[in-house]
Amino acid sequence: MNVLIADDSEFMRSLLREILDGEYTIVDEAENGVEAIELYNDHNPDLVMMDIVMPIRDGIEATNEITDADPGAKVIMCTSVGQEQKMKSAIQAGAQGYITKPFQKPSVIDEIESVVTG
Amino acid sequence: MQIDVDSLQTYNELAREGAHSAARSLSQLTGIETRVEVTNLSLMTPSDLQYEYVGSEFSAIRIELDGALVGETVLTFDTDAGDRIAESLTPNGNEQLQRSSIEEVGNIMTSGFIDGWADHLGEVIDSSPPVFIQGSGMDVLTASAISRDEQLFVFRSRVESTAESIDFDILFVPDRTSLSSVTRPTDEGISFRKLEVFNSMTRNGAERAAENITAMTGFQTDVEINRMKFVPIEEIPVTVGDRRYVGTVMQFCGKLNGYLVILFDHPSAEAVVDALVPMETDGEWSEMEQSAIKELGNIMTSGFIDGWANVLESSIDHTPPTFVSDMGSAIMSPIVGRMAQTQDHAFVLDSTIQTDNEGTFRCEMLALPNGTELRDVLCDLLIERAEKTHVDPSEVF
Repeated sequence: MNVLIADDSEFMRSLLREILDGEYTIVDEAENGVEAIELYNDHNPDLVMMDIVMPIRDGIEATNEITDADPGAKVIMCTSVGQEQKMKSAIQAGAQGYITKPFQKPSVIDEIESVVTG
Repeated sequence: MQIDVDSLQTYNELAREGAHSAARSLSQLTGIETRVEVTNLSLMTPSDLQYEYVGSEFSAIRIELDGALVGETVLTFDTDAGDRIAESLTPNGNEQLQRSSIEEVGNIMTSGFIDGWADHLGEVIDSSPPVFIQGSGMDVLTASAISRDEQLFVFRSRVESTAESIDFDILFVPDRTSLSSVTRPTDEGISFRKLEVFNSMTRNGAERAAENITAMTGFQTDVEINRMKFVPIEEIPVTVGDRRYVGTVMQFCGKLNGYLVILFDHPSAEAVVDALVPMETDGEWSEMEQSAIKELGNIMTSGFIDGWANVLESSIDHTPPTFVSDMGSAIMSPIVGRMAQTQDHAFVLDSTIQTDNEGTFRCEMLALPNGTELRDVLCDLLIERAEKTHVDPSEVF
């Protein structure tokens, strides 16, 4: 399964790479919401791990645009934000999963499997 | 009971003037030149106040107040400073005489501190005879003040000598019922109860931030001190001090706007980075190390402000973190400069997180919300929702 990581933090991208490496194929990494949309269109990945707080364009806006263009897109928000209103906004934008940082590998894998298998 | 922000400003100014008067008294008595560094009003639990004095031995003069304003004042010096003051007043005096001289200094300084309040109220505030105490954290307040099941309003002034290291704190802890009786009634004020609840919510947020640090670094951390300060805005940089820090600055916006600053002392920042991205460094903060600090700040910030948003059934966004490495006062100055355009006093929510065994890890979290918006938020705050700070995504998705 091909995964796109979108997170402005180099450190967090490296953590996610460690967790996902060997389980899935990371096709690319975006540092903001605009890049995430561009790279999604370039790679058409099976899954996007999307941060919310990012510069230029945040993860909820990017998710909205990606799922508008591709209703079959699968996006998991992967964020430090634990606000109920943000979770609802993420659902409205088309996200199917939500992981709050800090996270452990098992919870990330479980959420991915849950979203991918529907 | 409601209290209006104007009254808080007036009380803060009275405390500051009182501290100047006390400092002048000390200078006249001993010839030691002093200056008032900072005066603020904090809302905090008795145990948080005691914790600030844990580990340091001090001498203190405690005076109880009665009449128009009930409460207690405590003038604390470190023990060496107390000895030097006594020596300057009664050279070669015996121990009893020296103790008596210290008590009288405390009496005179406290009178200077309290007289302004009495004049402001146009009433009499009676003082008990001064009591000399030597001790540490647990001894700052009387048992009756500690046993109250409520947060304390603590007026505190820090006075420092310009030449000799004779520094002291003046604490004034009024009884809340008494303070409320002298506060002018208002319909547009802030509820004491809601201030207390918001402060408790902030402690919950800081505890969540501490849990997040533990999850990321493995350090067993906890919130050691939590308080809500009301402080003249220009004094905020002085409060943070000139020690060098590494950390993050973020702006939050939405229902409540403001800044959140996370400051690690250098050894703590190095320990955090070692835990997150173990690698050899050349003493500079590499991009990956900065990224690790920023991400930790990001996660701590969410732990801190998510609780506010969830209780208020709203959302509060925050900007990506900015990495900072500088003296504390220099980090705070640009923030204060921006805030000073719209307010001259600020509420500062201040939490200290550290490891159980002191020395390994310590960080300060400072939230500076916009004063007018905080007042609006407190008006909207439903106390019965105050426990609903955490939402599990699985409950929503």
